[in-house]
Amino acid sequence: MKVSLFEQVPYRYIPDDYGDHNSSVVTAPYQVVDPDRMHESIFSAYAELLHGVRSGFDGIVVTEHSQSSYDVSPNPTLLASAVACAAQAEGLDPAIAVLGRSLGKTREPLKIAEEYALLDCISGGRLIAGFPVGLSYDANLNASLPAIETRDRAREHRELILKAWTSPSPFPWNGRFEKYGAVNIWPRPIQQPHPPVWVPGTGSTGTLRDILRNDYAFVYLSWDGPKLVGRHVFDRYWTLAEEMGRDRNPYRLAFLQVVAVAETDERAEKEYASHLMSLYHSGLGAIPGTAMAVPGYAEPAAIEAMLRAGGPDGMLARMRTATYKDIVDSQVAIVGSPATVADQLEAFVREFRIGNLLVMMQNGSMPRALTEKNISLFTAEVLPRLRPIWDDEGWEHRWWPRATAPAAAPVRTEAEAR
Amino acid sequence: MTLTPMDVRDEAVELFDGRLRLHVKIAGDGPPLLYFHPLSGLAWNPLLSQLAARHTVYAPEHPGTSPGDPHAISEVQTFWELLLVYEELIRALGLDRPVAVGQSFGGMVAADLAASFPQLFGKLVLMSPPGLWRDDAPIPLMAMVAGPPEDMPKYLFAHPDSEAARAVMALPADPELIPKAIAQGAWNVGCTTKFAWPIADHGLGRRLHRIGVPTLIVWGREDALVPVAYAEEFGSRIAGSQVEVIDDCGHVHQADQPERTWTAISKFLDG
Repeated sequence: MKVSLFEQVPYRYIPDDYGDHNSSVVTAPYQVVDPDRMHESIFSAYAELLHGVRSGFDGIVVTEHSQSSYDVSPNPTLLASAVACAAQAEGLDPAIAVLGRSLGKTREPLKIAEEYALLDCISGGRLIAGFPVGLSYDANLNASLPAIETRDRAREHRELILKAWTSPSPFPWNGRFEKYGAVNIWPRPIQQPHPPVWVPGTGSTGTLRDILRNDYAFVYLSWDGPKLVGRHVFDRYWTLAEEMGRDRNPYRLAFLQVVAVAETDERAEKEYASHLMSLYHSGLGAIPGTAMAVPGYAEPAAIEAMLRAGGPDGMLARMRTATYKDIVDSQVAIVGSPATVADQLEAFVREFRIGNLLVMMQNGSMPRALTEKNISLFTAEVLPRLRPIWDDEGWEHRWWPRATAPAAAPVRTEAEAR
Repeated sequence: MTLTPMDVRDEAVELFDGRLRLHVKIAGDGPPLLYFHPLSGLAWNPLLSQLAARHTVYAPEHPGTSPGDPHAISEVQTFWELLLVYEELIRALGLDRPVAVGQSFGGMVAADLAASFPQLFGKLVLMSPPGLWRDDAPIPLMAMVAGPPEDMPKYLFAHPDSEAARAVMALPADPELIPKAIAQGAWNVGCTTKFAWPIADHGLGRRLHRIGVPTLIVWGREDALVPVAYAEEFGSRIAGSQVEVIDDCGHVHQADQPERTWTAISKFLDG
């Protein structure tokens, strides 16, 4: 299977009691930021991604959020581009997954087509194109677009981007939301007909059907762990896949998992617990529930079903007050020795037929040195156990980049060149 | 006179070349009066019963807010199309220069209809409509709609704990009906804010001078959603209009000050 390093870009010095008084999105008060520490927080994310690439991850994964303290990444293609250039310069070969520029949020969809195409060219055909609708707070509050139009806008933008990549000649676009006289972007993607498309979603049946119909990969970015939501989402996914005549290729699926590895279980708790809890208490847990569903974002039938089922699925609604034990017992985070972590990961990966695992190794306040240790231990001792999991079934990974250019010749220093 | 739900009938009118069926609640007897509801959708409130005692009240439901037809909103793509829908509705119902009463979001719709089609209405009543914008008097529409539900009454009422205010916010007594009611309420706001997001300004201020019919502008002095400063903004742009500011009153006049509100409106309708 493919295992990639997923990284968000939190400001790492959020005060402990921040979530008691503040939201982590939209109105997050910038006064808590020290500019030098912001520089360090952002540069550390880049350095950790590069460390992950050097340590043997198959790819890197980044996301987009505006006006947020937990992911200071208003345009993830910037960070992805830096990693892609550095990897090329070192002769390394990671997939670059942007999951992604939000299609329901953008006012300039052709910029996404252009940026993704540029990234595919920079990386020699190693881009995975993420096409998320976008979270409600980001599309409807930050970008202030009417909630009820979010999905229609995302659909039109996806269609426009795919056409901009594949149309052999300039074309006019008379859409509901966008109008262009002549679309003719430079560059176009290296991968033909276009880079593999991964669609992040929360697993609503409508989204899953759309993904399966178009033969895209489904990425479940839940932060809820496999125990609370896996059965509910993945069983439905595979049932739908069968109904719609799709095969059981595990590479159709990607799943995000928070992971922290240390030499022993005890040491893992000691080293990581406070940092993990800062993510849940001050980051994800400090997103107000109402900001995730501005009226009009979700259909009335979906809201009614959610309320009848007793509220939102999983852990997100409870994260603000969750204890470390809640988080670990529910597998929202998988924490422990390499053997503990590998056992838990392997079990659910096999159970739910997940072909792409995205592991998040930095959380909240976790410093760079500890994150790099986490990455090193994981790649050395856990990754080798995961990689062969699907080999015996012999599936082709049709959602992985088809790099056409070899990794560029390493860039040497003057001393090396002599 | 108090109307019961039995006295209110529902009529579905086909509009937009048959693509849209707009539901209209109709009650009462007398000269025609159109009531345009606020963001949250149509609720038959005591003010409507008072109006129906002297008028035939036609209260259209904003597209998408009628139960069972949520996707009707997709047929109306822009605010301009919404105005055209209502102009078609008035012709389809055969109403000759009805009175228009618009409340909050509905007031913005009624004002723009009156400005866009100067011959459409006979009289106009605007109850604290959004539609204009002043940087020194921001309208916290987004904060209210996207904020915690428990904060909503503070935007709407001068007296959030009054019986009338609680009645406006009440959920069904039967717990089985609550999920549907919450879902419908949220969707209604999604359907109306489509044309009011994030700032309800479609350039109405540049068209208000076209309104030539007798106009009453009613505002609560303590309005925490659309500040009372806008009463004068509307008043000064609509020639000959009358502004009534009600003391000790928030955004939902008929809940905070039912008697003073009715006195102001009925006097204007008599005149």
